[in-house]
Amino acid sequence: MELFNSESKKIVSDPINVNNPISLQVLGICSALAVTIRLDQAIIMTLAVVFVLCSSNVILSLIRNYIPARVRIVIMLSVIASLVSVVDELLKAYLYDMSKQLSVFVGLIITNCIIMGRAEAFALKHGPSKAFLDGLGNSMGYGLIIIVVSFFRELFGAGTITLPDGGAGYVLWSIPESWYAAGYENIGLLVLSPGAFIILGLVIWIQREFAGVEEDA
Amino acid sequence: MHSNNYTLFFVFIVTVVLGTMLSFTKDSVKDLQDQNLKADVQKTILRSLNFDESLLLTNESIEETFKSSIDAKCVNVEGEIVDCNIEEVDIEKNEDTLPIYIRMDNDEVQGIALPIAGKGLWSTIFGYIALNPDTDSVLGIQFYKHGETPGLGGEVEKKWFTDNFVNHPLKQPNGEIQYMPKKIRDKSGKIVSIKVVKGGVDYSESNTSSIHQVDGISGATVTADGVTDFLLEDLLRYEKTLDKIRDYGTI
Repeated sequence: MELFNSESKKIVSDPINVNNPISLQVLGICSALAVTIRLDQAIIMTLAVVFVLCSSNVILSLIRNYIPARVRIVIMLSVIASLVSVVDELLKAYLYDMSKQLSVFVGLIITNCIIMGRAEAFALKHGPSKAFLDGLGNSMGYGLIIIVVSFFRELFGAGTITLPDGGAGYVLWSIPESWYAAGYENIGLLVLSPGAFIILGLVIWIQREFAGVEEDA
Repeated sequence: MHSNNYTLFFVFIVTVVLGTMLSFTKDSVKDLQDQNLKADVQKTILRSLNFDESLLLTNESIEETFKSSIDAKCVNVEGEIVDCNIEEVDIEKNEDTLPIYIRMDNDEVQGIALPIAGKGLWSTIFGYIALNPDTDSVLGIQFYKHGETPGLGGEVEKKWFTDNFVNHPLKQPNGEIQYMPKKIRDKSGKIVSIKVVKGGVDYSESNTSSIHQVDGISGATVTADGVTDFLLEDLLRYEKTLDKIRDYGTI
């Protein structure tokens, strides 16, 4: 079966690990910084990106032989933009509070380089099942990093761990009052953008170390 | 290389298909979105009136609370009650029918929420300011819709900013600091509104109007100036209504 041979596994696992779109290619950083203040935002954002990237890869792969090369960028962008708009509308209907928190960053998935990049580099050259796996791998690679970053930013920045629910988020755990009474303080810097850069930098370092990647000098 | 006709045809088909998909999606979730929007506005009003957060968790409980404890009506600039469809009033432009939401408890006014709206930097900002029955001190302020830059002007909706309006530090004779709400009227009872000041409020004794000032937002001076402007403008429209409530306890 084609879906589960070693090549397919590699298509999914490579972008999660040794060719991660954020930590190795350093793409999609803008949204990775913006939506990682809280864990629940990062989880919903991940789901949105998984949906958009998998669908856009499959759709574009299905019509790849019919797309006139001259207008392919426009076609790719229209497909991606439509899918993102669908996600945005659905969030507004079913997860209203979350859509308010994510605000413009859902719409900005359109400009996430990972999505256009995968469409151009992979979906237009491969069949739909491989394109789907590639979309899955890359979006999960993106999601993995932003979830890790948001976990640390929320835990040390705001002192909570929040999971998504229908409303304003379910607080799974928060730092007990007694810790604060004993002198513990949240690191306010982590809630701000520089905090995201610092955590992301550390995550990239550790991830590259694990993946065994070495930059050419 | 595909021909021009083929390219045009292909683009046309893609546009039609994607357009249909989008309008179908929008159409099927529009009702839900409208409900969410309505509940969000009601939630903003209830929050500004200092209702407990536990009453505001679901759309249903919000509607229930709103129905049972809020007296919603319209007034004109003269402070007289007028008929209106309160949900349809255009808060931004309207000058003749002004919505007012009164929190009633045992036939007594507990708080008055007024819609406020005006231009920030990029967009119109919508919100509610609630006053105590003395129609002077602020009970709460909340913003629910705006298109300001997240992290800059967008901070107006954040708790730290809205808390500014109810946390005026007042030094007691014994040196302790007590927090009290900001005030919209000066000593003579004239409405002077609240000013969002660049940087932070000067709390030294030489600044006699610090009770009418709140801290601004770094990097969002235009948004802050917008808030200052429309807050004054909107409060003045309700001046006669507020005077009435202060003097007679009702409209």
